[in-house]
Amino acid sequence: MRFSYKWLQELVPELPPPSKLARILTLYLAETEVYSSRRRVILDVDLLPNRVADLSGHLGLAREIGAILGRKVSLPKVKLPPLQYGLNDFLKIKIQSPNCSLYVCSLIRGVKVKQSPLWLRKKLEDCGLRSINNIVDATNYVMLLTGQPLHAFDYDKISSPPEIIIRQARQGEKIVTLEKKAYSLDEQIMVIADAQDPIAIAGIKGGEKAEVDLHTKNIVLESANFFGPAIRRASQKLKLRTDASWRFEHSLTPELAQYGMEQLLSLITQIAGGEIITDKSWQKRTFASGFIPVKWEKWEKFLGWRLTSSEIKRYLRLLGFSIKSRKKYLLVSPPCFRNDIQIAEDVMGEVARLYGLDNIKSVPPVAPLTVPPKNELWEFKEELRNWLRGYHLEEVYNYSLISQEETKCFPSSWKKVFIEVSNPVSNRFAILRPTLLCNLLRNVAYNFNFVSEVRFFEIGKRYYRDKKYQERTVFAGVLASKEEKEKDLFYQVKGLGETLFQQWGLTREDYFQKKMEQSEYKDIFVTGVSFSSSNNEIGIVAAVPQKWLQFYDIKGSVVFWEFDLERLLALINTEREFQPLPRFPAVIRDISLFVPQGTSIERIVRTIQKAAPRYLEDVDLFDIYEEKVRETGKYSASFHLVFRSPEKTLTAAEVEAEMKKIYKALTVIKAVIR
Amino acid sequence: MDLTKIKAQAKKEISVINNSRDLERWRVKFLGRKSALSLFFANLKNLSLIERRKQGAKANKLREFLEELYRDNKERIAQQEKEIESWDISRPGTKVPTSHLHPLTLTLREITQVFSRLGFAIVEGPEIESEYYNFDALRIPPSHPARDMWDTLWLKSVSKKGRLLLRTHTSPVQIRYMEKHQPPFRIIVPGRCFRHEATDVSHDIQFHQIEGLMVDEEVSLANFKDIIETAIRELFSQKVKIRFRPSYFPFVSPGVEVDIKIRNKKSGAQEWMEIMGAGMVHPDLFESVGYNKNLWQGFAFGVGVERIAMIKYNIPDIRLFFSSDIRFLKQF
Repeated sequence: MRFSYKWLQELVPELPPPSKLARILTLYLAETEVYSSRRRVILDVDLLPNRVADLSGHLGLAREIGAILGRKVSLPKVKLPPLQYGLNDFLKIKIQSPNCSLYVCSLIRGVKVKQSPLWLRKKLEDCGLRSINNIVDATNYVMLLTGQPLHAFDYDKISSPPEIIIRQARQGEKIVTLEKKAYSLDEQIMVIADAQDPIAIAGIKGGEKAEVDLHTKNIVLESANFFGPAIRRASQKLKLRTDASWRFEHSLTPELAQYGMEQLLSLITQIAGGEIITDKSWQKRTFASGFIPVKWEKWEKFLGWRLTSSEIKRYLRLLGFSIKSRKKYLLVSPPCFRNDIQIAEDVMGEVARLYGLDNIKSVPPVAPLTVPPKNELWEFKEELRNWLRGYHLEEVYNYSLISQEETKCFPSSWKKVFIEVSNPVSNRFAILRPTLLCNLLRNVAYNFNFVSEVRFFEIGKRYYRDKKYQERTVFAGVLASKEEKEKDLFYQVKGLGETLFQQWGLTREDYFQKKMEQSEYKDIFVTGVSFSSSNNEIGIVAAVPQKWLQFYDIKGSVVFWEFDLERLLALINTEREFQPLPRFPAVIRDISLFVPQGTSIERIVRTIQKAAPRYLEDVDLFDIYEEKVRETGKYSASFHLVFRSPEKTLTAAEVEAEMKKIYKALTVIKAVIR
Repeated sequence: MDLTKIKAQAKKEISVINNSRDLERWRVKFLGRKSALSLFFANLKNLSLIERRKQGAKANKLREFLEELYRDNKERIAQQEKEIESWDISRPGTKVPTSHLHPLTLTLREITQVFSRLGFAIVEGPEIESEYYNFDALRIPPSHPARDMWDTLWLKSVSKKGRLLLRTHTSPVQIRYMEKHQPPFRIIVPGRCFRHEATDVSHDIQFHQIEGLMVDEEVSLANFKDIIETAIRELFSQKVKIRFRPSYFPFVSPGVEVDIKIRNKKSGAQEWMEIMGAGMVHPDLFESVGYNKNLWQGFAFGVGVERIAMIKYNIPDIRLFFSSDIRFLKQF
């Protein structure tokens, strides 16, 4: 909020210079900046939400500055002009809404509406308000002084019989505000109405109907206390925030309504003349605030340093708190305008604030030396990142939200599980990503502007809906090239996956490789492999179909992978056991085969293993040659076969016997030795 | 030719040779098939048996001598030539392919490691959150003006615990954790958060936060200051200037804001930069999770990870983090 430095100067004697004051306020109250406007100094104080109720007027800030500087600044008493009673004869007040706890009202007859005096206009300007006429300016001035929003109506424009009714609006009821804007109201919105129409949206904005203009002679002044949450709800509903609604929604004290009216009556009679007619009801009402007990022993325990009881009392008195000292505790009663002080911690916090949070001496905590429990998923992610970095993959962080447009590529089975944002900032961020595919393709398209190969990975969440709203941590990535080398990329990624599994101690008995048709990703990808455990799918490696590449305007080949990290973690057994080193040497034989296209490597390996189970330790594919598949219908594959016995050194004859069995088995599947 | 002459000439000629090409010519001349020595051997058959034996032994001796001479000089010249063809040490070495971790990973890692060393456990929570955990349980009902501090992205849905949203901060994990654990404890909660916000150089619709929570019987405001100062000094430098000032969050009392003094890269001036919101846990939170609020107390804080990374790496625009621009990623 904008405060006029000059105005504060009038209220606080010996006010520190502006930049020093701003520094003090920042350290002891709220972030404050100084700037000048029309050669006058303005303080912009970023009031904290809990302090708007007592600081949104210059008097409130003056009082606070006083407390910080160690002086007590009290509200000036108002010298009231002569009052006549009998408002009821001119105007009936009917409070029909539970959201209005106090309605202070006065009538001034015979005012002269004109331009405000210069001093008043300057103060409004300093605070960013426009001058309208002396009556409206007076209500605004008193609001800026006290924090209490006020309103003036033209008495003669109120429908007869003259009444002010504070009630909830009727469904569909209309009002045109002072800005000539029409609003349609409902029961959640409180209005100030005359016998026929709403003349103001309570606590938010005045209506056009009873607007004070240059011809106005008699005015009705309102200083009310409204229920904060009700004003907030209405203001949000109407999307109408005003200086008044901002103050009201922070729940002002009813005492402020009384004080504000006194200030207003005094000011208007000064600058516009007229005679006041009011009633006595509001003047004598008092509002009690309760006592908060704060145990003496609690202070040091909570704040962490020893404060003497006289220090504590001094700070609290500076803030205007009433205190009663008891043997075991202190009874603290905050002033009515401090509705943010509710519990002992609030009271102790205020003392710490005035002492200066920055002045508190730091003390290392004394706590038992315990080992923090390990977060396995977190550590797994960290380990994975380090590993992938070694594998020459760049890490990216993408948005969790994808655009409406990107969803076009998805098959309907995926669209069904989308989680949508109901109030997106823009269509660009409309839907929670059900896979990291979209982001990564976007990344490929973008980076193809600079490089011709992209190797990215991301560890993040994908989101979808089944019975619940799911968010699953995945490890996804792409290898992309501007060249046509999809197959090559596919085996690179598959190799990466398999090597990773191996690193974590997984063997082929712990997971299965399945065809894409058996994957939950089957509606997106055609060519690819799915990895799964006995319970569920762990992830996929797949070539990205043309349709997607076209959508993202990618020319080249992209292989994508996505693994569910929690499912993977559940499989991993990192405990390792030492295997004795082999005592006898291995015999290695290489074979090269021509294999009919369509016979999988897995089948060949299994055939070999099955044929010679006795000494065959490992079958290791080391070369594949597919150039002549078109002409011959065959491809060539070469394997190292490793034979070993745990008991002896194998002779050539023994290995030869095993090889013969293997040759024989291979002929059955029509694999021919090259 | 006479063998002694051959020997003398061979010795003379080889002494001036300084490269392998000339050496090879020398070899052909003196040891090759058409050399004088070879001719000498070829002519042996015309001699008498005794003479043949005598001359043959001499010639063999010469051949051995020449061969040894050749070997010695070959080594000498190879050594010389190696020295001539010297190594250009300014030439770049063979490149090893490398890659990089994201600056947010590095920053998250640094912060979590500092707190891990201080005995804080790492805990994570959901990004899709209920209105209850994100707001109500933290004393921020819809009617509370402070709710405006968190512009929210809501999801199309209804759950039992109120509407669903994308969490606006990591603070809901305070409640989730306390519901399932008993004090004393200290935790940090790294995670992704979201805001309904127009994007610019310092705002984005998503960002990362690290929440901290320490609860014990006597964890005081002065203890909070110590832990935070220790962590910040570890992260930045032992000399960094730190400032504590009042703030407000409904789930703490009192509320504290932490600033550090950094150099403005444009103007060169030192200025305060806000890096953390914090405070002493509001007793209502303890009560709502079933703790005895008279027994336990503690502090909580939240740090913006992007902001720390921007300061540490001098990154001017928050949106770069999610740009996935290889030219950006390669710098870390």
